[in-house]
Amino acid sequence: MTINDNGTATNGTASSIAIPTSSSNTAATTNGNNSFTVKAGLAQMLKGGVIMDVVNAGQARIAEEAGACAVMALERVPADIRKDGGVARMSDPELIKGIQEAVTIPVMAKARIGHFVECQVLEALGVDYIDESEVLTPADDTYHVEKSNFGVPFVCGCRNLGEALRRIAEGAAMIRTKGEAGTGDVVEAVKHMRTVNRDIARAQGVLASEGEVGIRALARELGTDAALLKQTAELGRLPVVNFAAGGVATPADAALMMQLGCDGVFVGSGIFKSGNAAARAKAIVTAVTHYRDAKIIAECSAGLGEAMVGINCGSMAPSEKLAGRGW
Amino acid sequence: MAITIGVLAVQGAFLEHITLLRKAAGEITSTDLSFNFIEVRTSGELYTCDALIIPGGESTTISLVAARTDLLDCLRDFVKVERKPVWGSCAGLILLSEAANSTKRGGQELIGGIDVRVNRNHFGRQIESFQADLKLPFLDQARMPADAFPGVFIRAPVVEKLLPKVEGVQADEQQVPDSVVAPSKQAKDEKAQAASSGQVEIMGVLPGRMKRAAEKGAEIRASEEAGDIIAVKQGNVFGTSFHPELTADFRIHVWWLQQVVAAVNR
Repeated sequence: MTINDNGTATNGTASSIAIPTSSSNTAATTNGNNSFTVKAGLAQMLKGGVIMDVVNAGQARIAEEAGACAVMALERVPADIRKDGGVARMSDPELIKGIQEAVTIPVMAKARIGHFVECQVLEALGVDYIDESEVLTPADDTYHVEKSNFGVPFVCGCRNLGEALRRIAEGAAMIRTKGEAGTGDVVEAVKHMRTVNRDIARAQGVLASEGEVGIRALARELGTDAALLKQTAELGRLPVVNFAAGGVATPADAALMMQLGCDGVFVGSGIFKSGNAAARAKAIVTAVTHYRDAKIIAECSAGLGEAMVGINCGSMAPSEKLAGRGW
Repeated sequence: MAITIGVLAVQGAFLEHITLLRKAAGEITSTDLSFNFIEVRTSGELYTCDALIIPGGESTTISLVAARTDLLDCLRDFVKVERKPVWGSCAGLILLSEAANSTKRGGQELIGGIDVRVNRNHFGRQIESFQADLKLPFLDQARMPADAFPGVFIRAPVVEKLLPKVEGVQADEQQVPDSVVAPSKQAKDEKAQAASSGQVEIMGVLPGRMKRAAEKGAEIRASEEAGDIIAVKQGNVFGTSFHPELTADFRIHVWWLQQVVAAVNR
């Protein structure tokens, strides 16, 4: 039998990443093995699960008991960031520590786009994943964080394939749709997922009809790396795990994103801004496992109380949209 | 003969296991043998299976979601009453252990099947996750290529204690603070009893020195030094604390399919 003895190569979603992340820079990492397999591997373990935004230890416990596969620590949920305005930053480390002590599932936390010192602080706190997030106020209007230098893995948002592959080239080991956080309106998340799918189908068509030359031209158009684009076309999907985020408020929303091809779901304001957070959280987890089974989704959606009120994305001015942050 | 193998698809890296199973099946050449690989989310799907893999994922999520339907109880019947062949990786190993500690507040449900106690998240948080070359003697014995196996450890558990074989639940373990135990179930017949009796076999260890070197990101090689137990087997239930499904190396999948074929023919 033939065996691929390259231990860093993987199968399925994160197969042999074209970028040499593990050898790129180890200086910034303190300990642990900084290989891309290990970073992307945790995201693969989260697949088919729900990651919930929480602002304190009490909410984190509710999320864990509901069956969340991880929690995301942030100082305010996106709906409140929208309402309150002002500058949104990384959480107080005290709150993050409290959440880490309260639960045994992975704890993620958000850092501002480009704010590599917030990322260093989160790594020092031992968070399991960093979300370099447009939901917080960007700290750099030119550069995203150079993520391959860190030992802790990163997840980043995208609206299309070019943006996703730019983040992966910077070292992101997991991608999510940006959607429109804090609205409870799933329309933007659907748009971003459909756009990524359409872009991948196009890259596959170009690779089949024009080969390498066509991929290079398309990479230039999308503003991304040609090797990563080719790899994506060959796989027929993003080379890392891709979750839905930004506007998921109901079990049916979550199952919709799964049926569109997402690997799992982030839920932000949708849970703790609703009438019965514990019941809704549990129902969304059930709907993500059984995303093709409408009977089960019907059962778990019944009697959940009030969903978050929501803001209609169609009535928002472009300047009010968080998804426009980052590039 | 057609053998149906399920991969528990409640949450986690189930597609990765199916991909490697398909590749591994190509290595098992027999004219009258075919494999059928399915995702298992319901008890109805589980009933059709001859063997099962419980993949890596979040063990709390998998047990909570499985407990919302009759699936968790049916999994216990599959492992303990029917005693069909089962393999758990990482979260799957935790669920297949008779006892576990470092669980979430209020504990968690286990399936059981292997008389060991595991320590969840033994190595720490994600920053302590690592990859290390493993020497797995059972692959050599099955005449597989002898190269080191790429062990990927993601917030991994280890087996911290081998437990005695007891009638009923692991009562002594119930007394250990913050430890949870699996409920007891009686094997249905002699064949099932035979597949569950016997001692726990240690199938792989991670030398302590190697673990510390791995934490520093050093190039490391397996040695003979005693260390953390990261693969165990009792009868036809097998567990690994690492993730073969995150590599392209399907030697363990080939080995396990051979075990399944032997068990089905028994």
